[in-house]
Amino acid sequence: MFASRGEKAFVTAITVILILVSIVAIIPLLSVISTSLSSRSAVDMNLVTIWPKQFTLDSWGYIIDRADLWRSFLLTLVTTVVGTISALLLTALLAYPLSKPEYRWGAVVMVGVVIAMIFKAPIVPYFLTVRGIGLYDNPLVLIIPQILNPFNLIIMRTFFKQFPKELEEAAFLEGSGYFRMLFQFVLPLSKAVLATLALFYGVVLWNQFQHPLLFLQNPDWFPLQIKIRQFITDDNVIIPGAVSGADLNYNARTLRATTVIFAIIPVVAVYPFLQKYFVKGAMIGSVKG
Amino acid sequence: MNFKKMGLLAAAGILSITALAGCGGNNDDSSEGASASASNPASSGGDAVDIEVWGTNIGYKPVTKGSKTYEFFKDKLGVGVINPYVEWNGGTNYLNQLNLKIASGEMPDLFVPYGGIENNLAKNGAIADLTDLLPKYAPNLWEAIPQDVWNIVKANDPTGQGKIYYIPSLVDYGRYGGMIRQDWLDKLNLQMPKTQEDYVKVLEAFRDRDPNGNGQKDELPTGGRQEARWMDHLFAMYGVAMFEGYPDWDLYDGQLTYSAVTPNMKAALEFIAKLYKEGLIDKETLLNDKAKWDGKVAANKAGNYFHWVEQMPLYLDNLQKNTGVKGQFSLLPVPEVQGYKGFYTWKRMGNPQWVVKNNKDETKLMATLKLLNNVYDKKNWKDLYLGVEGMHYTMKDGKAVKLPDDKSAQENVGILNPATSLATLDFTTELMKSTASEDNLWQIDQAVKAMQDAQKYAKPIAGDGMPSSVYDDYPDINNRTLFVEYATKIILGQYPISKFDEFVEKWNQSGGEEVTKRAREWYAKVQQK
Repeated sequence: MFASRGEKAFVTAITVILILVSIVAIIPLLSVISTSLSSRSAVDMNLVTIWPKQFTLDSWGYIIDRADLWRSFLLTLVTTVVGTISALLLTALLAYPLSKPEYRWGAVVMVGVVIAMIFKAPIVPYFLTVRGIGLYDNPLVLIIPQILNPFNLIIMRTFFKQFPKELEEAAFLEGSGYFRMLFQFVLPLSKAVLATLALFYGVVLWNQFQHPLLFLQNPDWFPLQIKIRQFITDDNVIIPGAVSGADLNYNARTLRATTVIFAIIPVVAVYPFLQKYFVKGAMIGSVKG
Repeated sequence: MNFKKMGLLAAAGILSITALAGCGGNNDDSSEGASASASNPASSGGDAVDIEVWGTNIGYKPVTKGSKTYEFFKDKLGVGVINPYVEWNGGTNYLNQLNLKIASGEMPDLFVPYGGIENNLAKNGAIADLTDLLPKYAPNLWEAIPQDVWNIVKANDPTGQGKIYYIPSLVDYGRYGGMIRQDWLDKLNLQMPKTQEDYVKVLEAFRDRDPNGNGQKDELPTGGRQEARWMDHLFAMYGVAMFEGYPDWDLYDGQLTYSAVTPNMKAALEFIAKLYKEGLIDKETLLNDKAKWDGKVAANKAGNYFHWVEQMPLYLDNLQKNTGVKGQFSLLPVPEVQGYKGFYTWKRMGNPQWVVKNNKDETKLMATLKLLNNVYDKKNWKDLYLGVEGMHYTMKDGKAVKLPDDKSAQENVGILNPATSLATLDFTTELMKSTASEDNLWQIDQAVKAMQDAQKYAKPIAGDGMPSSVYDDYPDINNRTLFVEYATKIILGQYPISKFDEFVEKWNQSGGEEVTKRAREWYAKVQQK
């Protein structure tokens, strides 16, 4: 397969280096996993490195029992799913007319879109606007401000522009209107761009942190990322004389490790199937501006 | 033709935008009105006024109108307290939210300032000038804080008029000290060290004579954490003002000086480098984080650590749980060094604790002052610390016992905890004793004894309460970047001690001179009063 010995040696060397690099990446993860599976005193005394010491599932038991963590998890799941679907719908509904030359004000609207993309609103007016429409301390703030992104809109519009005219003309001759055209012909044939944008929107929605921190006050509505951050930074502030946590077999460190693993499981599970779209995503729509 | 249409469209666009904005505005007003009337029962016949209080909340439930904690505050303090949940997030998010809240014209009535926000607010007249209000309407608070501390607050007035704009937090006793394993000393037949030579001998014995009895030479006589932090006891014997590893300001040769650039610091670093070389401090000292170093204490390896004395029960508890050893810690008296006067640094003033909104609404302002007055009333302290029965504490054999921390069920009663804003030795001791259980009484007793011993060696430093504004434009000086670099390299032996003079020179050149000038000006202002 390889032309020369030199080439073979090169490939071997690269493989070895890559394996070493991935070990470097895996070891910290292993250490966190082991911490989450070790006993309180083993972790306290810094005995855990790569393999769990005094194996126990207590930390996991505690985390899985935490109703508020599950609540945040479900909340984030729901906002991500609902948000992504509505985002795709809204983006398509705006991108489609903008891709049609016969839409006379398209250019004007496009300028508006581009302005919104380039000049982001400063935080105070943005805050006042979002609060003005009643989204302060309202869980909908997790969805509504996120579901139309100018950049994604432009990607979709460019994709629609490349759509073969002949197909549409045929459909129109058969008596189809624009809406039917969009939902029955264009969208079903645009799965590639839809998948990519779904991924873009989905990632943003799943990872929301700063934004909800600004607008949400009721901890019941905190999405997963904020909840995790709380767990991790919670330094078990000890009030002098307070009864200590009896004889629990976990402590702040094991719980932190457990929370981190808990939070990355869904991403790790889904990522391999979505990875190809990440790569594709940047290419789609980039051909024509 | 086209232009006409464009114009029409633009006009229509503008119209619709203003209409929308109008809608938004209306919504806003109505919701504001609603919340205002909801949070003000005084107007609807209630007896107590509600005020909004913002402060640290590390994950507890908010105090909302009608909640148990709300009723508890109203009952005890005569003022309704609404404490919404604001995620603290290292202070950055709190500051963000606070800024936005203020920008939208809804400053909380009483709040914990953060990151120097109070300076601008005072300059803009947004927070109340408390100089005359406190003695008149909050005498408990006024008297709880000593006059010389108020003088510092006055000297810190950003408007330069010597007024009081914030209420400082106060620690009324020496909180810090080195802790040494008394049971190790006893086992090796050693006396509590008095001088530095004694101390070094003790450390050598800890290193060589297997005090933890496991047959291995795994003892770490003493140590600290990264960036040369939390090893203040080693600096203390040379009279270096050091606060949790941050060099601080004190009088050297009669002048306010940054302790990191004094000959005292040079001598201390030389000493520590020697300890390091001889394996008398943990080799990983400069790599340890909190968990790492605390873990070594809890693993029955460390003989001498530095921390808050009152946290000792925690170390003892972990030590026992992990290794089964019922340890014994004593306060390490600051070892004497010829020619130096050692002390454990004591900073009485913490960060600004409260600022009060410059309320146009007189009833709210008065309610805020009434709340402050009652919070600082000693007879309310214990109740405020304990919180709500059934939520924060429970009665066991006629004694109040704090319930374990449960953030998902407990409301943020700590917002008004006097122990955070005004800590005294008596109160802290009493709390520790009153909430001790049979199991941990021995730990509390040890800690209380050491806390009393620590007072002998605690010295308030002259730089106490100095505003961070002296560091303006010199973030590196504030972050002690240069100091950390030189100190760690000197300790590790990478730099000879003679390099210290280079550090002093560099420090002065990179802004230290200017900062020192400002600091001394500030100190002169404090002295004038």
